[in-house]
Amino acid sequence: MNHQPFETWLLDDKILTPAEKRELNSHLRECKTCTALAETGLVLRSARVVAPAPGFALRFQHRLEAQKLAERRQKLWGVIVLIVSAISLIGFFIAPYVIAVASAPVEWLTAALGFLLFLFSSVQAFGEVLSVFVRMLPNFLPPYAWMVILSGLAGAGLLWIVSIWRFAHRPQGVLA
Amino acid sequence: MNEEQAWVAQAQQGDDEAFAKLVETYQTPVFNLCYRMLGEPELAEDAAQETFLRAYQHLHRYDQKRPFATWLLSIAAHYCIDRLRRRKFSMFSMDAEDDEGNSFEIPDMDAPSPEHEAITGQTNARVHAMLQELDTTDRAAVIMRYWYDYSEKEIAESLNLTVSAVKSRLHRARKELAGVWVEQEDDLLAEMERRHNESPAF
Repeated sequence: MNHQPFETWLLDDKILTPAEKRELNSHLRECKTCTALAETGLVLRSARVVAPAPGFALRFQHRLEAQKLAERRQKLWGVIVLIVSAISLIGFFIAPYVIAVASAPVEWLTAALGFLLFLFSSVQAFGEVLSVFVRMLPNFLPPYAWMVILSGLAGAGLLWIVSIWRFAHRPQGVLA
Repeated sequence: MNEEQAWVAQAQQGDDEAFAKLVETYQTPVFNLCYRMLGEPELAEDAAQETFLRAYQHLHRYDQKRPFATWLLSIAAHYCIDRLRRRKFSMFSMDAEDDEGNSFEIPDMDAPSPEHEAITGQTNARVHAMLQELDTTDRAAVIMRYWYDYSEKEIAESLNLTVSAVKSRLHRARKELAGVWVEQEDDLLAEMERRHNESPAF
């Protein structure tokens, strides 16, 4: 038999029959390549498993705590930066109005009261229009259409509640 | 559900004590894989710690149908492969800080310990040197095959390869290892001969 089948047996870690073992042993006596393959196979299989230094789990706990602390700090700084930016932005936009109010308070108070009055009358008018519309709508839509609409709304509501529940019950850990 | 699956389920619910039990159970296989991959105990310690940290962070993604050990060793192997690839481009300096700049304690590997005794064995050193000659992915495949008795299918799943790719990588790696083994033997013989000739008795 030529070299190739023996090499394949060794590379595949084939379980050999007694006859095949005899053939392989006789081939190993004359083939340096296969001898090296057989020896390295034995060495690899008998190599020891190396354990870490004692206290590995404790060191991991310390590292995990440090990681969590770093992430909490990172989050806190993020929130602080966000709040400061938002306050600065709002301040930048409302500063001219604040200055104007401070320089002529009576005119601004009159204008604000006029605006509130307008807002109130607009809401009232919109409410009247809506009530007329609601009174007229049942005449245009058949009862089954109402059932479909209500079912759709109920389904969307249920989906929303499930999504919120799943998000809230997600396992918490340090940031990925 | 066995004890290990119960720990995993509890850890997925945020139980840190359950995760600590998983760390205790798998510290040696994970450390051994990292050590065989990276070649140095200090780097292996750091890589093993990082592996457990990543496992902790991504525990919600773990599929209970898969063996936990396979999932964990897959994280370790990928981390080591990435680290070795990065090391090719930049000299890696090992100090007492991780990638994020957090300090951590490095164990004293010079202190006498069973691990220290194990890694000083001559055959172990030869195996270690041989492994470092291999391509990183081939090395991971060999370690999974011969230290953990993984099947070709399990290796393929862990390393995101096809079964045929794993088979061909294992064949190639075994041939390379045999080549290095022969070279080492020749060097040893040459050294013995040189000493023999230099000896004043002859």
